[in-house]
Amino acid sequence: MSLMIKTEKLKFSYNKENILKGIDLDFYKGDFIGIIGPNGSGKSTLLKNLSRSLKADSGSVYLDNKVLAEYSSVKLAKKLAVVPQDSQVNFNFNVYDIIMMGRHPYQKRWSKTSDKDKKIVREVMQVTDTLKLKEKNINALSGGERQRVIIARALAQKPEVLLLDEPTSSLDINYQGEIYDLLKYLNKNLELTIITVSHDLNLTAQYCEKLLLIKSGKIFASGSAEEVLTKSNIKEVYNTEVLIKKNPLSNRPFITLIPSANLQENKKNKDFRIHIIAGGGTTKNFLADLVSLGYQITLGVLNIGDADWQLARELGLEMVEADPFENINEDEVKQNKEMISKADLIILTNLPFGHGNLANLKILEEFPEKNKILLNNIEIEKRDYTKGKAELIWNKLLEADNIYLLAEKENLFSEIKRLEKSEMESEL
Amino acid sequence: MDKKYRISLIYLITILIVLALGIISLLLGSSYIPAADVFAFLSGTQEISRTSAIILAEIRLPRIILSFIVGAGLAAAGTVFQGVIRNPMVDPYIIGISAGAGTGVMLALLLGIEIVFWNFSAVPAFAFLGALLTVFLVYNLAKVGNKLPVLTFLLAGVAVSFILNSVMSFLMVIRTENLQQIVYWLMGSLAGSDWAAIKMILPYFIIGMVVIIYYLKDLNIILLGEESAGHLGVNVEKVKIILLGAASLITASVVSVSGSIGFIGLVVPHIARMIIGPDHRKLMPLAVLLGGAFLLITDSLARTIMAPLELPVGIITAMVGGPYFIYLLRRKTKDIW
Repeated sequence: MSLMIKTEKLKFSYNKENILKGIDLDFYKGDFIGIIGPNGSGKSTLLKNLSRSLKADSGSVYLDNKVLAEYSSVKLAKKLAVVPQDSQVNFNFNVYDIIMMGRHPYQKRWSKTSDKDKKIVREVMQVTDTLKLKEKNINALSGGERQRVIIARALAQKPEVLLLDEPTSSLDINYQGEIYDLLKYLNKNLELTIITVSHDLNLTAQYCEKLLLIKSGKIFASGSAEEVLTKSNIKEVYNTEVLIKKNPLSNRPFITLIPSANLQENKKNKDFRIHIIAGGGTTKNFLADLVSLGYQITLGVLNIGDADWQLARELGLEMVEADPFENINEDEVKQNKEMISKADLIILTNLPFGHGNLANLKILEEFPEKNKILLNNIEIEKRDYTKGKAELIWNKLLEADNIYLLAEKENLFSEIKRLEKSEMESEL
Repeated sequence: MDKKYRISLIYLITILIVLALGIISLLLGSSYIPAADVFAFLSGTQEISRTSAIILAEIRLPRIILSFIVGAGLAAAGTVFQGVIRNPMVDPYIIGISAGAGTGVMLALLLGIEIVFWNFSAVPAFAFLGALLTVFLVYNLAKVGNKLPVLTFLLAGVAVSFILNSVMSFLMVIRTENLQQIVYWLMGSLAGSDWAAIKMILPYFIIGMVVIIYYLKDLNIILLGEESAGHLGVNVEKVKIILLGAASLITASVVSVSGSIGFIGLVVPHIARMIIGPDHRKLMPLAVLLGGAFLLITDSLARTIMAPLELPVGIITAMVGGPYFIYLLRRKTKDIW
């Protein structure tokens, strides 16, 4: 693949403030690139340097192996088109006239619009589905329609590279998908090199082949969505806790904010360890919340592939793992014991018990001194598949006085808080 | 086809209106000349009285032609300014260019410069210099970073106008004895029209118009925003300087004969845009025709309303233009023209 855009030690400052602090990048023909980064990281400034709207202080930009500054404005317009962030047009041109303006670099000053111009404009209108808007006034269009018209105008330039600055930032979700689907089509079918700046990590991750993460004027990470959008990268660049899953439709990473994880008070890690015995997705209602509250969480023993195992992994928690659908073996029980012995509190979820995981229940008998919270919003008889063995252990556990039976999630948090408090007091 | 037909029709009607206005204006004046004589004069078929012939040929006709040129020029300049600034609230008068040109003229007269080579008089050249300096000054005063906010542009223009107007008044007071003349010139008047004035400004007017016409298509693209225009292959900075220069030249040439007549450059381009749309290749000819027509009407009014006393035409254009400016300011569909 041939090199399309290259920068070397690109630096740019505005009002004596360094915005870009030495950017080296290589974009190839046919790339579909998403430039992401927090507000003020310099991502839009980078794009403007690539489009020559801004001139770098030092370093160089090459477009198709030629120094960008050496292109004449007309030559550049034939090679590279830009869809700006603000596409508002304050004058009442109709859609056709606006798109025809994309042919400007090819037209002589006094020649009439050629048949070729008309043909190309018709083509780009077909691709962008703007034919039916032809006679409409640009100001009578919805945001999504107007953006498609502006993209059509850019395509009428017959460029090899298309730069877009936040193309969907002011659009509703349906138009966002529409625009990115169109970009993907253009990238795949017309081999257009596309570079888009966006603050929407998920949208970028779903569509762009390569991501460039910018942090305060420098490239922090680049590569595929999987390589760039990791929990630790996002923590470092955006200073926020997120959950990263896979979008089942695109198999690309999908980022979810962890609610309340970013409240300053909750950010402090607590010195209170909780060991959770679970399985079958019984933690999904509270696990992320507990993590975000700053508790040290461990789990065990969980079968690999189990819903709770998956969630714990996404949250990056320590746990004892067992092979899928296998009974828990002695070695795993031993590891589990080690973890439990470090815990200040044990939570047993309302998981069903079979012969394979009975060890998870039995193990509790060995820690009579530890506080235990037992969730029982489903009665034990209904989830005992061991012909009463589990129920027997359960009932024996209930005889102790450091056992707390709970049915509601809300009570769980207040109970944990209460136990944490009494624990702290006893230590003092 | 329908669209082209409509545009031709608009032009045809406008041209007919201009011609009709010209003929009506020939009929108007402090001394009565019968309509039959006017038509005889125009067709040249019949002898008319010597006095009537002189009044028509040496007083009324040059005034009509000059008022058309002045109106057309101000409208053309206004169209260019509105396009480059991308806002129809600007015109050469409001942003101080007329005042700049006027100051230039005053300086030329004060210094006693009467150099004329070929057909070029130095007076419009001084006006041009004054106008250019003012554009440059206002433009840079109003610029905030990379942007040119319309409001600051207007305010900077108004402020510079104030200063220049007082400079002009001062120069006139210390120099001339005839106060009425000062007032008329400051308010804008065509009372001094003759063939010499037309000869003086026509070359500058034509040069300015040719340059503007050459860059009309670029001006369309600049309407999309300067950055977008740049991405479409327009050398924005260059085109802007050339267009502002040409519009200043036209304003300067016009001001050097008529003083500063306000608001034509504001009202006419906007009305023309409402009729024919924002495409400058169609808009500019219409604005020129309508501008000429507008000043023909207002100047006829100025001559006749209080006859035999003649009002400065600037009073009438301001009476029409001021309220129009307020209307633009208070419009509901903001920012779309």
